[in-house]
Amino acid sequence: MFLQYKFLIIMRAIWFAAQVAFFGLIASRMVVPELADVYFEYYVAGVVIMMLYSTSVFIGYDIFEEAEHGVFEYLLSLPVSRRELVLGRSIGGGIRSFIFIGPIVAITLFVIGLANPLNFLIAFSALFLFAFGVSGMSITIAVGLKSGDRFDILMGVLNAFIIRLSTTMYPQVFVQDASQLYAALTTINPVTFASDLFRWGVGIEKYLTIAPMPLAPILGLTAFFFAFTFVGVTVYEKRLEGGGWQ
Amino acid sequence: MIRAVAHIIEYDFRNFLRYKWWLAGLISMNLADLLIMAVVYNQMVSPAIIEEIRSYFNFFAPGVTVLGLFASAFMIGREVNMEVRREIHHYMLSLPITRLELAMGRLLAGGLRGMMYMSPLLLTTFVVLGFPSAVQLLVILGALFLLATGISGLSIAIAASTTSFEKFVTARGLVYYVLFFCSSIFYPLSLIQSLGREGIMPIPIVVLAELNPLSSGADLIRSFLLGNPPFTIRMISNLVLFSAIFATTAMFAYMRIIERK
Repeated sequence: MFLQYKFLIIMRAIWFAAQVAFFGLIASRMVVPELADVYFEYYVAGVVIMMLYSTSVFIGYDIFEEAEHGVFEYLLSLPVSRRELVLGRSIGGGIRSFIFIGPIVAITLFVIGLANPLNFLIAFSALFLFAFGVSGMSITIAVGLKSGDRFDILMGVLNAFIIRLSTTMYPQVFVQDASQLYAALTTINPVTFASDLFRWGVGIEKYLTIAPMPLAPILGLTAFFFAFTFVGVTVYEKRLEGGGWQ
Repeated sequence: MIRAVAHIIEYDFRNFLRYKWWLAGLISMNLADLLIMAVVYNQMVSPAIIEEIRSYFNFFAPGVTVLGLFASAFMIGREVNMEVRREIHHYMLSLPITRLELAMGRLLAGGLRGMMYMSPLLLTTFVVLGFPSAVQLLVILGALFLLATGISGLSIAIAASTTSFEKFVTARGLVYYVLFFCSSIFYPLSLIQSLGREGIMPIPIVVLAELNPLSSGADLIRSFLLGNPPFTIRMISNLVLFSAIFATTAMFAYMRIIERK
């Protein structure tokens, strides 16, 4: 189903290239000297997490598509329980986003390099929790709204705030200098956990936010995964009964 | 002729106001860029660059205004593409309006919608950076209208060149990202030029950034409100050229596509 989004995938790939080749490269010349040495690598790692987030959200769009085309009825007729169905959707959404970002991660590793393969494996595995959690969040929001347009807009707005109030684009120390409120929000943002973990995995250890590594972000991502997967399962299950998606 | 064009503009404005949720979303994104991203980058920008731009927040405020103008003026293309796909243009052709009036109306409506959306962002920029003189204000509004009309033309030209929504969205994405990131919206043009001189950025990209109408629009506002970069007539000539090329192309492309069987 994911392959139906081939144009969207092409667009995201163009976005990645533009972010890295233009913004990452030019902004790394704009920042203070102590950050300039690592900022390009720091930013590229953040862009990977932004991509993982935005591709994991796609599952919500599928739910609207299925409701529009009557696929829900077919899914409900399958010999699987509602819970299995929802868990499958959430995990499937996370896995396919990994398939999509696989080549991008490979390019990133080529650009940044890899300091410690074991750290990378730990971080990469833990990022599955992040992808499943985001898919669960997307499912929860999608089934809570009946309009595809509103979902699209809400996800756009959420994306704008959740990404900017994280450490994907800038280190926490500068967020702290800018605003205490922003800094407080970045420390509880799952996107920050994922960004820090990925940077730790590829060996960019300067300017990490969460400690101790990698335990703290893994615990944060686990909590995020459980919260949204099970909230998602409950909401989705309730909506499925009696044609609540219509 | 003016009456017919005004009717088309009214039709497009009514459509625009139907997208109130979309507009609220776009405003939130622009404000998130200005109030979060720019505020944090303010702390990160090196003293050497600060000397040139005063503060990143001040530098970015005109940039986000142009960003908003671009996104909203580009929306007309999405509607034209949808009308072509759903054959709503047959209704448009049945109206007692000439093809040229129809095309002009669509083009101007796209530009004016961009101006309307951009107004609160421009006002925010004025509140933050200070108000320009009456003459400067007129020049800014005139230049931004040229930019908005050119963007509207560009989006209509892309929309008219394909009946596939996916292809339109992909082409739009490509144009968005290249024009956004290869401009002086997020960073001073001098940085791109210095990367070009060092051989890191290819020269065609540097030239594109210099000629990019979004760079001209953002830098024109900066030149009046911040005093840097200095105002040059090239900023205006870039916008006139961009607007003339894409307005003409869009009108011919639109007239051709609606008459296609």
